[in-house]
Amino acid sequence: MSVPYITSRLLYGIPLMLGVTFISFLLMVHFGPDKTYELIGKNPTEEQINEVRQSLGYDQPFLLRYGNYVKELLTLDLGLSDSSGEPVSSILIKTLPISLALVLPGFVLGNLLGMALGLLAAWYRGKWLDKLVMSASVVGMSVSFLVIIISLQILLCTPYGLNLFPVRGWQVHGLGSYFYYVTVPTLALVLVTLGYNTRFYRAIMADEIERDHIRTLRAYGAGPAELLFKHVLKNSLIPVLTRIMFSVPFVVVSGSLLLESYFGIPGIGLVTFNAITSGDQPILKAVVGLTGVLFVLALTINDMLYSVVDPRVSKS
Amino acid sequence: MLKKTKIIILLVLLMLGGCEQPPPTDSGLPAKIYRHAMDGAPGSLDPAQATSLYAKFIVVNLYDTLYRYKYLARPYQVQPNLAVAMPEVSEDGLQLTIRIKRGVYFIDDPVFEGGIGREIKAKDFVYSIKRHFDPATRAQGAWLWQNRIEGLDLWKTEGSDYDKEVIGLRALDDYTVQITLSRPFPQFVHTLTQGYAAIVSREAVRKYGQMLSNHPVGSGPFRLVSRDSVRAVLAKNHGFRQEPFDLTDEGFDPAKHEKLGIQQLQGKSPPFIDQLEFEFITEDAARWNAFSAGELHFIKVPVSQFDNVLSQRSPLTLSPQYDGMYHFEASPEAGFIYTNFNMADPRIGYHPDQEQNHRNHALRCAMVKAFDWEKRNEIFFYDIGQVFPGIIPPSVPEYDADSDTSYVQRDLKGARELLLANGYDETTLPTLEYGFPNSVTERQIFEQFRNFMTDAGYPASKIRPLIFATYGDYQRAYSQGKVALINSSWTMDYPDVENNMQLYFGPNAAPGSNSASYNNPDYDRLYKTSAVLNESPRRTQIYREMNQLLMNDCVSITGISRTLLFLWDKETIMKPDRSFLGGYFMRFVDLVDSASSTAP
Repeated sequence: MSVPYITSRLLYGIPLMLGVTFISFLLMVHFGPDKTYELIGKNPTEEQINEVRQSLGYDQPFLLRYGNYVKELLTLDLGLSDSSGEPVSSILIKTLPISLALVLPGFVLGNLLGMALGLLAAWYRGKWLDKLVMSASVVGMSVSFLVIIISLQILLCTPYGLNLFPVRGWQVHGLGSYFYYVTVPTLALVLVTLGYNTRFYRAIMADEIERDHIRTLRAYGAGPAELLFKHVLKNSLIPVLTRIMFSVPFVVVSGSLLLESYFGIPGIGLVTFNAITSGDQPILKAVVGLTGVLFVLALTINDMLYSVVDPRVSKS
Repeated sequence: MLKKTKIIILLVLLMLGGCEQPPPTDSGLPAKIYRHAMDGAPGSLDPAQATSLYAKFIVVNLYDTLYRYKYLARPYQVQPNLAVAMPEVSEDGLQLTIRIKRGVYFIDDPVFEGGIGREIKAKDFVYSIKRHFDPATRAQGAWLWQNRIEGLDLWKTEGSDYDKEVIGLRALDDYTVQITLSRPFPQFVHTLTQGYAAIVSREAVRKYGQMLSNHPVGSGPFRLVSRDSVRAVLAKNHGFRQEPFDLTDEGFDPAKHEKLGIQQLQGKSPPFIDQLEFEFITEDAARWNAFSAGELHFIKVPVSQFDNVLSQRSPLTLSPQYDGMYHFEASPEAGFIYTNFNMADPRIGYHPDQEQNHRNHALRCAMVKAFDWEKRNEIFFYDIGQVFPGIIPPSVPEYDADSDTSYVQRDLKGARELLLANGYDETTLPTLEYGFPNSVTERQIFEQFRNFMTDAGYPASKIRPLIFATYGDYQRAYSQGKVALINSSWTMDYPDVENNMQLYFGPNAAPGSNSASYNNPDYDRLYKTSAVLNESPRRTQIYREMNQLLMNDCVSITGISRTLLFLWDKETIMKPDRSFLGGYFMRFVDLVDSASSTAP
C-alpha cells in the first residue's frame, strides 16, 4: 500500500464530496423545511417575512448559496444555528464525542457478539443450536427499538424494577459515571442490533465453511477453533470490514436518535433530528458535509484495509 | 473466584464513582436542586426571539421584566416586578410613566467594565424594546407594540438607529420611562409581563450578537450555567434583589394554598433554590419513567397516563396509589383548539357571486353541525377538555356560561338538510384540503374530522390531507391561502380576551394571525370600539356580540380548551403554572430541607 495509492483514493473522494454536498444541498433547499415562519412573530407583514427570508439568505440564487456552503465547509466556518444562535462548530465539538461514547460500546459489543453467535450457528448449521440462534435473532429483529428502550428503562431504572441506573442524563465525569449512564443504552443497542448482526455474520460464515479449503483442512484434522478463527473468520473479513466501515459514519453522525432522545443524552443524533424538524439549515449543512467526509474517509480506509487482509486486492 | 470478586467490587466502586453529591451551599447544607420536566425544547433564549412557551419559561428566570403576574392570585393580576409601581397613566390613556427600581444590577459578565454587572437604567428598557424593531435582531415580539407606540414604527423605517430617540419611548432619567401610545391600548401593561419585554444590556448584545442566546446577561433570579439539546441548568443569582415574599401581595388563599405549604415562604427572599434544571423530554414514556424514578420534581402528565393517574374524571380525582406521593392540579389551558375555514378560498369562503356566497355559508354551517365535539373531547382529550361555543373560553371572565351551546352540539340531521337545501350532493361538494404538520396524532385528528364529515354525506375522497414536514411549513401554506381547512390552536399571550378577538380582525388577515382571512366590517367596527376599552360590562357585551357574529358566519369550527394535569412531589413547595404566570413561578419554588437534591 503506497502513498500514491492512498493519495489517489483521497483525490477520488473530492468529486464524490462535491456530488454528495450538491445533491444534499439541492434537496435541502427545495424540499427541506422553511425556517422563515418559525422565526416571524404573530401578525407578520409581507415586509417582515421578507426581512427574515433575507436574514436566512433564502433570497439568494441557488448557486451562490451552494458556493457559500462549500466555502463554509472548506474554511470550517459553519456559522451559527438558526435556532439557538450557538456556533455550529461548537455544537459539533460538544455533541460528537458524546454520541461516539454512547454508541461505541453497543456497536462493538453488538458486532463481536453477532460474530461469535454467527460463527456458532454456521458451525452447527442445520442443527438445533443453529435453529435456536436464528429463531432468537428473528425475535430480536422483530421487537421494536422503542419497546426495548422503554422495557429496559422500567426494568432497570425505575422503582417498578431494579432501579439501578438513571432513566436520563449524561453527567459523565469519570469512568464510574460513564458506566452508570451508558449501561442501559448499550444494552438496548446490543439487543436491537444483535439479531441483524448474527444473521449477517452467520450467512457469510456459513458460505465460507462450505468452501473446499475448509473441507480440506477438516480432512487434515484441523480443530474447530483453528478452522473458525484462523481460516473462516480471516477469509470472511472483506464483507465484515465493509459492513463495519460503512456503519461507522452512521455511528458517528447519527449517534442513535432514539437512545439520545429517550435517555436524555445531548448527542449529535438528537441535534440533527431537531435541525431537520425545525429547518435549521446551518446545522443540517454541517452534518451533511461531515457525513460526506466520513464516508470518503471510510471508503479510503476500507480500501486500505482490503489490501491488508487480502493482498490480491492491491495487486489487482 | 477471588479474581471475580475483585472485578465485581471494582465495578461497584466505579459505579459509585458516578454517584456524586451536589456541591454544598455556603451554609454547608446540600444544594437545593429543582428539576422541572418540559415536553419540548426552547429555541433561542434571546428575549427578542423567545417565542416558544419553553423559551419564555426560561427567559423570565434569566432576565427581569417591568411587570409580572401575582404568583397565586386568580384571575391573574399584574404586579410590579422591576417597576416600582403600576404605571401612572394620563387621563386620555395615552401616556404611561413607569419608575423602575434603583440598585438592580445585571449579573457579572466580561461585557461590563471590570466584569462587574452594572445597574439597570431606564435606557436599557428603551433599548430592549427598540431591538424588536431592528431587522438585524430577527426579533419576534414586535407585533405586541407595532403601530401602538408613537414613533417606533417610523424609527424602524428610518433605519433603526439606536442613537435616535423615539418620541413615544423615552428614558426621562435613569429611573423613569415614559411611553406614549398612538391610541389607547388597555392591554399594554400585559405586554410588559412578556418575556419579549425582558431587559437586556446593550453591551451584551454588542458583544454576543446572535450568540446572546447562550450568553444571557440579565438580572433575573437565576443565571444560565449550561444548556444543550436535552437540558438547561440555571444557578441562583446571588445578587438578585432582596424582596421578602408577601403572602397577601401574591394572592394567598389558605383554602387553596395552605396544603401546598406556601405559607412557609412568608418573609423569605426568593429564589429559594440553588439550582434550577429544565429537562426537555418530548417523549411521553421517557418523561413519565423519569418522573416515576424520582429524577424529576414536576411533570405535566401525558394523556397516555391519565387512566393510570386518575381514579375518576368527574370530579377529577387522583388514584389512591399517587395520592400520598404527589400534589395534583388540573389546570385549564389558556387557549383553545379550532378549525378555521379559509374565507379567502371561493370554494368555501367568500364568493363574488352572492348566490354562491350564500351556498358556501350553508356548506360551512353544515360542516360545523357535522362536527362532533363530544367525540373529539373523548378520544383526544380524555373527556376532560372544556367545549364552548366560539372563541371566548371558560377561563376568561367574558365567558357566558348561559350562552346557547347549539354551535358545538352535533346535528347530523340539520347538516344533511342544509346541504340538500343548498343543492349539495356527492358530485357538487367541493374537494377541500385539510392541512396539518406531520405527526401521528395530527393524522388521527384529521381522520376523525373526515369521518365526522362523511357521516353528513361528504365523500371521504373530497377531504384531502395536506401534510407538512414542520409547523413552519404548514404555517407558510395556510398563510399563503393554500389550505382550505386550517386546524390550529391558540395560546393566549395575556389574560385578556382581546388577544382572542384579534384573531378575526380583518386587517390581521393572512399572513397575520387571522388565518381564516375573515373580513366582516361589523366585526371590525366592534373590535375597534372594544380595543380601547378597559374591562367592563360594555366591553364584555361587545365581545359577546363579536363572538356571535363569528358563529353566525360559521367562520370556524370552535372550540375546546384542554385541561392539563400537573403532578409534583410532596417535598416541593410550589404552585405550578403553565399559562400567563409561566416561568415566573420558578423563583418561588422551594424544597423541604430533606428533599435537597442528590444528583445521580
